[in-house]
Amino acid sequence: MAYLTQPDYVKYICSCGQLKPITSLYFCRHCLKIRCGFCICHEVDSHYCANCLENMPSSEARLKKNRCSSCFDCPSCFHTLSTRATLAQPRQAAQDAAAGGDTKVENKQPKKMYYLSCFNCRWTSRDVGIPDQPVASGGWPERTNPFTTRMNQLLDYYKAIAQQEKQEKLERERKKFAIRGKYITLTDKTGLTGAMARNIAGLPSSDGGSSSAIANFVASQASEDVDELPEDIYTKEVNLKQITSMAQRLASPEWQPATVSRLHPLAKLLSVKRSQRCRACDHNLTKPEYNPGSIKFKIELLAYYHVPEVKVISFETIKPGEKSALLIKLTNPTGHEMQVRLLQPEDLPQPEEREEPKSIEKSLEKSLNLEKEPLPETVPDKPSGVRVPASSRVCPPSMTLSLPQRDDAAEYDDDAHHDTDDVILWRKSNKIALRLEVVTESTVASGVPANALLALEYSYRNTVPPPPTAGGTLAGTTPAPRDHTLYTTVLLDLGVVSG
Amino acid sequence: MAHNNIKILPGATVCEDCTLEGDITIGGGTVIHPRVTIIAEGGPIIIAEYCIIEEYSTIIHKKSDKQENPPKPLFIGAHNVFEVGCRLEAPCGHIGESNVFECRSFVGVDIKIGSGCVIGAACHLTAPQTLIDNTVIWGSEHHIREALEKQPSQLLQLDFLSKVMPNYHRLRKPNVHKRQPSRQSQDSSPKP
Ligand SMILES: [Zn+2]
Ligand SMILES: [Zn+2]
Ligand SMILES: [Zn+2]
Ligand SMILES: [Zn+2]
Repeated sequence: MAYLTQPDYVKYICSCGQLKPITSLYFCRHCLKIRCGFCICHEVDSHYCANCLENMPSSEARLKKNRCSSCFDCPSCFHTLSTRATLAQPRQAAQDAAAGGDTKVENKQPKKMYYLSCFNCRWTSRDVGIPDQPVASGGWPERTNPFTTRMNQLLDYYKAIAQQEKQEKLERERKKFAIRGKYITLTDKTGLTGAMARNIAGLPSSDGGSSSAIANFVASQASEDVDELPEDIYTKEVNLKQITSMAQRLASPEWQPATVSRLHPLAKLLSVKRSQRCRACDHNLTKPEYNPGSIKFKIELLAYYHVPEVKVISFETIKPGEKSALLIKLTNPTGHEMQVRLLQPEDLPQPEEREEPKSIEKSLEKSLNLEKEPLPETVPDKPSGVRVPASSRVCPPSMTLSLPQRDDAAEYDDDAHHDTDDVILWRKSNKIALRLEVVTESTVASGVPANALLALEYSYRNTVPPPPTAGGTLAGTTPAPRDHTLYTTVLLDLGVVSG
Repeated sequence: MAHNNIKILPGATVCEDCTLEGDITIGGGTVIHPRVTIIAEGGPIIIAEYCIIEEYSTIIHKKSDKQENPPKPLFIGAHNVFEVGCRLEAPCGHIGESNVFECRSFVGVDIKIGSGCVIGAACHLTAPQTLIDNTVIWGSEHHIREALEKQPSQLLQLDFLSKVMPNYHRLRKPNVHKRQPSRQSQDSSPKP
């Protein structure tokens, strides 16, 4: 809970250099590295509606424009609309009765009619004159998009372009890898693709369908002719209750209603279930269960379950040139005993050469070429040679701490084992509280944020059987040992340097 | 503090475990949940028929400096719903009918409320203003819109509450047997 409601006092340095709290980090059991949302592949597993939990394959979702066909959002406040039932005496019933028709018996009963209503802002479909429906779901009148033809033109055009680009890429690939025959063709010599050559020669291209869409496409033209503003634009009193907000207009870009009487229920946007994949080894880090009603994961390699958790209990105010006490708590979340040693960040061994994603092309495709872009502001170096500016230094004790494995039953014992040690404050099950000393340089200006880096060396028992082939690429030719010594660095937020 | 003068009309369901101070009239069909506070310090409070006043709601008729003599009553129209934890402070005046005061909403003094208005959950109205009929206020940014029609009445809920409440709570008995409170009934009201 503290992780949800409080600022992140302890941040871990991901293997990509980003600073993140432990709850938003992953741990790849195959690379034995911490990963974060920035340095992994995000894949869409399935589309579903968050309201009715209907799930659908991506092709169907695309066809439905990623919207649910039976659920709606409020056009006024964007909350989900609920269907409400009313008993209505159909108006024709009276007329029919007067006419003495044989529908009299059926229509005597009040009919159940349904309308949409928002529990948040109390908007209802009746507010804008949408007639009540006789069935609970579906059947709501759909407004036609005034720009349907143009939209379809654009869609066709972009589809054609996508197809053409795909074709060209295939051709390029073929050319690159084709074993050169005896005959050098014109296109080989000039670097022209067949399509381009045909285009230059003015010949109809081979794939007629797509390029006709491209050829016939007319680009949009900006026009200076716009409707005059109404005469009373400056004199008419503005009633803000009648005018839609910007957010309300942009929520339905096709119509962009200017007045609230033109608001129309918005088909609910679909949500996606994502799975996450390590970019270096292509293994899944998380994989949700397919059923949208389930919040469980089939694979859930979160750092929270594998990396020792550091929490700040309390600390003395950081003052320039002085020593302050710092109390932290370490927790071993794994099912195996863990040996932990606290180090200075510069004591960490240099990492092995920069890791390259195994299948860079594939990863690139998947992550929308994220890798090509420069990293945002992060730790400029690799984690072990960290140069995070920290105001203070932690003096780590030169002892190895042993943390027992997690024991859920021990949660209920509340007698913490108090140590007389200078460093160890208490032990309790898989947790240990330490008293450390923080030294602050006298040159640190008061008022700046106080923080300190702390490096951890911890033993980790890998329960994954080593894959038969991956051993060669990751850990040299020797089979990977099942017990590993891993390192991580955390940045502790210690408030503000006081004067 | 003037002595309490609570008039409960027949058909009203008023729990014993609530604070009623001053001159208060509660209309028939109205349901007052436990732990409700109604304080008529600046003048009488008249609550019309078929209102629901939920737990921890507070309705105060505040004393004001320019008090008239005799003090004007605070009249709360029919079919108003005061949801859990809401607070209404009005020096005098008139609350229309079919309004909804959602959970933990606050309506301060100098606010005139028409009919069919909704004060959204946790919305605080403090500046002097007049809410015209069918105004809906919602959200932390106090968005305002105008509904087309009044909020649907809660008759089913009222019916249910008036049947269920006596099974679980001690109730105050109606002490007025005429339709309209009159001089005579005021004299004979025995409530503490
Ligand atoms: Zn990996
Ligand atoms: Zn990362
Ligand atoms: Zn849905
Ligand atoms: Zn709404």
